[in-house]
Amino acid sequence: MPRTRIIPILYIAPALIMLSLFVYYPLVRNLVNGFYEWNPFTLDRSFVSIENYTRLFKDPVFYTVLKNNLFYAVISVILQVGLGLVIAAILEDKVFRRFSTFFRTTFFIPVLISMTVIGILFSFIYNPEVGLLNSFLRAIGLGEWAEGWLGNPKTAIFAVIFVSQWQSIGYAVMLFVLAVQKVPGELYEAATIDGAGKLRTFFSITVPQVKEMTFVLLIYTVTGSFLVFSEVYVLTSGGPANSSQVFSTYLYQKAFIDSEPGFASAIANVILGITLIFYFVQNKVLKTGEE
Amino acid sequence: MKRWFALAISILVVMSLLIGCSSKSSNSKSEDGKTTITFFHRWPNEPYKSYYKQVIAEFEKQNPDINVEEVTALNDDYKQKANVILGSKTPPDIFFSWVGEYGEKFIRDGVALDLSEYYAADTEWSGQLIESQVEHFKKDGKVYGVPLFTDSKLFFYNKEVFDKLNLKAPTTWDEFITVLETLKKSGTTPLILGNKSPWAAAHYVTALNQRTVPGEVLDKDFSYQGAEFTDPGYVEALKKLNELKPYLNENPNASAHDETRNLFIGGKAGVILLETLEISFLDDAPFEWSSFKVPTIEGAKGDQEGIIGAPEGFMVTKKSAHPEEAMKFLKFLTSKANGEKLIKDTGFASTVEGAVNENTASEQEVKAMDMIIESGDMLIWADSALDSRVFKPYGDGVQAMLGGTMTPEEVMKSVQEAAKQVKK
Repeated sequence: MPRTRIIPILYIAPALIMLSLFVYYPLVRNLVNGFYEWNPFTLDRSFVSIENYTRLFKDPVFYTVLKNNLFYAVISVILQVGLGLVIAAILEDKVFRRFSTFFRTTFFIPVLISMTVIGILFSFIYNPEVGLLNSFLRAIGLGEWAEGWLGNPKTAIFAVIFVSQWQSIGYAVMLFVLAVQKVPGELYEAATIDGAGKLRTFFSITVPQVKEMTFVLLIYTVTGSFLVFSEVYVLTSGGPANSSQVFSTYLYQKAFIDSEPGFASAIANVILGITLIFYFVQNKVLKTGEE
Repeated sequence: MKRWFALAISILVVMSLLIGCSSKSSNSKSEDGKTTITFFHRWPNEPYKSYYKQVIAEFEKQNPDINVEEVTALNDDYKQKANVILGSKTPPDIFFSWVGEYGEKFIRDGVALDLSEYYAADTEWSGQLIESQVEHFKKDGKVYGVPLFTDSKLFFYNKEVFDKLNLKAPTTWDEFITVLETLKKSGTTPLILGNKSPWAAAHYVTALNQRTVPGEVLDKDFSYQGAEFTDPGYVEALKKLNELKPYLNENPNASAHDETRNLFIGGKAGVILLETLEISFLDDAPFEWSSFKVPTIEGAKGDQEGIIGAPEGFMVTKKSAHPEEAMKFLKFLTSKANGEKLIKDTGFASTVEGAVNENTASEQEVKAMDMIIESGDMLIWADSALDSRVFKPYGDGVQAMLGGTMTPEEVMKSVQEAAKQVKK
């Protein structure tokens, strides 16, 4: 019967049309654009083959960007996934149960604040002259540690990464708390009877039991740190001297400030390539989605 | 039957989604016989916003058949929005532009309309615009824009602190350094700079370049496709800036320009380099202040008297369907009455002759305007004079130099390379 065949297609048609119109078409278009060079006002496109890519791979900023994004990913994984799990386990511990709601809320509040607001808040904290952080350091006698945090090429990217961690760790803790709560209580009981200590219980029961959640968060934080934009844009706009530039701010700079859409498309394609590689590697190594 | 009904509904939903996405292109022809012109500028903030609102209301009252529609975006956002909407099929009729390479690319790429005939047809209006400022909107003898206001840069100093230490406003570089040294010994921050966005130090560099690099070399390097930046004067200028480093606030790259301006107004620093249109902010200062020009550098090959700065104004798009109406509005905006209103309401020094006078402006503002008119030609600051692809390594390099990670030679080398890349 032809009617039954057409109906399912019609059901998925809206999603399919939307996806191809707003995801696949721009994607293909962007791959093509990476081989052209033009200026946004005239739209006279000239084919430059792979010149955009050779220029990108010779560009020293590209390597700063790559390094910054890798720092972002590594630190995010350690703090959000690693520390996040530890905090969640502590919050779910019998001793802390009483305060756990309070702490959970406290940790989660930053997640609910817009990144732009947080960015502006932290640029006050980091202000070298009147900022809270430097004033605090001076007050406790560590005046020589005071820095122009966002203005020093060595500290800028880490200052930005810290803000991200501050905001996102609550999200990871929340998800881990859920995962830990799902762990059957008998396991802990059995472990206690067997005489396992807190640390032993954590490594032998909590960690393996929340494996699936760990993988999900791992993918989430790693891809997230390659797409990070607002934190960097609000706090430093990639400066000083490109030292805190990340992929998306660099792309933005090239596309909308330097008016080089072709080169920007090439950057976008490289980001796509890198995130795809991460996705496949994680998929293969971690074998998620089996449960 | 029911199934077909569901099917029809779902098709309807999909279709409406698709139709919703292909938005109607806005049309400047309107239904009630009125002509609508779109006016794209960079002041969604007060007090400028109300200034434009009032001028537009007045204009619409006088010209009941014209409707002016505003589109706005602030500074850096303006640049990005301009890239997108000026390249579109229905660009605004009037748009704001800086001068230098920023405005020239609109002329080169055929975005801006040649306004020469309007200038020639109404000399009563065009004659009252300050000639040297209109000059910046010219290319190959044709005028492509209407200047609204002009701006320059001076050192402003805290007169109370200077008097207490028996200091005079310096005129030469050596005097300048002595003044800063004395200030430093007295415990005040001698010179304050907020270079979080690299244009702030770039204005220092522009001023120093003017002193150390011969005029004709500057002209060539600041022209499109002519940039080389090989003159040793550029390195010298950066070295001079480096000499100021011990007297600057500790982390210039970490502070924003307006923060440092507020610190200066709060009496936390001796000297600051400010735009003349920022004079109106200084009215809040609880101390007496005055200004001096960028000091002369003995033995340097550049212009020792010149000042830096640029007018800013508006252009009309070539694709505009109503250039007549657009020009009518621009003429209205740059009439003497509105020029006087501009300086009075906003502190922007109108480029209408005589608009900045003792009735409309403070003494210092009139003094600054006289200086601009007297000097005639101003060197446009590097951030708008240069192609952004050349300015980026220049501004970033200076930031790195102030942060201690690059030498003046290295900065100029990266600028030279960028200039080569753009030339290709």
